[in-house]
Amino acid sequence: MKKNLKRKLLLLLTVSSLAVSFPAFAENHDHHHQHETMLSTPDISNASTDSIFNITDNWTAANGKTFQLNKLGGKPTVVAMIYTSCQYVCPLTIQNIKRIERSLSAAQAGKVNFAVFSFDPKRDTPAKLTEFAKLHSITSPSWVLAQGSEGAVRKLAVTLGIKYKKVQSGDYEHDATISILDSNGVIKFQADAMNKNVDGATDALKALLH
Amino acid sequence: MKSKHSTFISTLVLSSCLFSAVAVSAEDMVRVEDMVLVPKGSFTPFFLKKDDITNSSSVATTAVDAFWLDATPVTNRKFQAFVNKHPDWHKSNIKKIFTDSHYLQHWQNQEGTVNAADLDKPVVNVSWFAAAAYCEAQDKRLPSTDEWEYTLTDNDRDTENLQKQIMAWYSVPNKELPTVRSKPANGFGIFDMAGLIWEWTADFNSYMAPPDSRNSGDKNLFCGSGSLNASNLSDYAAFMRYSYRESLKGNFTGKNLGFRCAKDAK
Repeated sequence: MKKNLKRKLLLLLTVSSLAVSFPAFAENHDHHHQHETMLSTPDISNASTDSIFNITDNWTAANGKTFQLNKLGGKPTVVAMIYTSCQYVCPLTIQNIKRIERSLSAAQAGKVNFAVFSFDPKRDTPAKLTEFAKLHSITSPSWVLAQGSEGAVRKLAVTLGIKYKKVQSGDYEHDATISILDSNGVIKFQADAMNKNVDGATDALKALLH
Repeated sequence: MKSKHSTFISTLVLSSCLFSAVAVSAEDMVRVEDMVLVPKGSFTPFFLKKDDITNSSSVATTAVDAFWLDATPVTNRKFQAFVNKHPDWHKSNIKKIFTDSHYLQHWQNQEGTVNAADLDKPVVNVSWFAAAAYCEAQDKRLPSTDEWEYTLTDNDRDTENLQKQIMAWYSVPNKELPTVRSKPANGFGIFDMAGLIWEWTADFNSYMAPPDSRNSGDKNLFCGSGSLNASNLSDYAAFMRYSYRESLKGNFTGKNLGFRCAKDAK
């Protein structure tokens, strides 16, 4: 009887700590501490109702792993949308994200995600994304390049306020925007990805890293 | 005697249950028929039209595959059923990222549900996210802008009349929304493409780019030389629709902005 109760308690503890540790992954430490007082009723869905993590579409990373946007939680994230057959705008976008990365100290850069989503579900397979990463010397584990369904791409673009259209050649007309999310997935800053001056984005990121 | 009486009552109750069950399934059948197969075809989006007749050979058309389309815009009745099933989309629960503050603002009673008088009017005050979620819940999707515009052109069956009808509505918007199906269907069998509400499309956030203008990333289509690109100014109504869509964001709502759903023909 006693043993049984113990086991039940243990199970309860395990379950609740699991349930709590997951949203904690998507939240900063302040939030985590606030939530610790409510162990019994962790509220995952209400974490932040203006977070893009409320979008639950699946994405596939260059390494073939499937994930949802809330995997980017816990750290600020630099987000952009590109497609790999794009000749000019997209390589420049990547260069400017790298400028942002270089403007941070190594310690700071390790606390930031760099997430690049493809407009082009047909051509940008994980293998193609891997090749693209190699071409642009992207090796840091802080980076993720991903592809998703047409619907997932549209929903993310609408959420980020990015306009795009697939044209007959199979290429895409698109806005080039860099967005900075906080660790809860709330958009904090957006800038033209063509602008070589990345001070605004860098400042926004540094403010989030405090 | 007493027991006979109660049997009678329970029979009555039972039969009324049966009756309502029949009514529900009949409604479901109607729901299936509520979609119309729009045959494949093509149309010329206004921004590809050229005024210059000598250039007419260069007029590009946009091909559209066959697809299913809701015969009418989604009504308050149907959207209420969706909200009942998916409480995340109730006006008191909807996540901030998915709407502005006017979501379903015409559902004014305390429970945040629809007024009986509005049941068969098109649902409005819904964001793109809510519209997309509704369609996904029915195993459908929002129509693309091309599909929507192609359906509106009605294979050019009665263009002149259609343009007049559209312009009349654009210049004097409805004071109060009529119910769906108040006017005859178009040649495809689709109702209310013009004269009722503006409608969300899946890719409302598209560029109106001609297929050969790659790398332009032209944000000034409607300014200066850009507007000359959209050259058939006689199609002013289409110009208004495209620029209206351009002005939208996914979380916007409007008291004349609703939607209908589509589905691949397969």
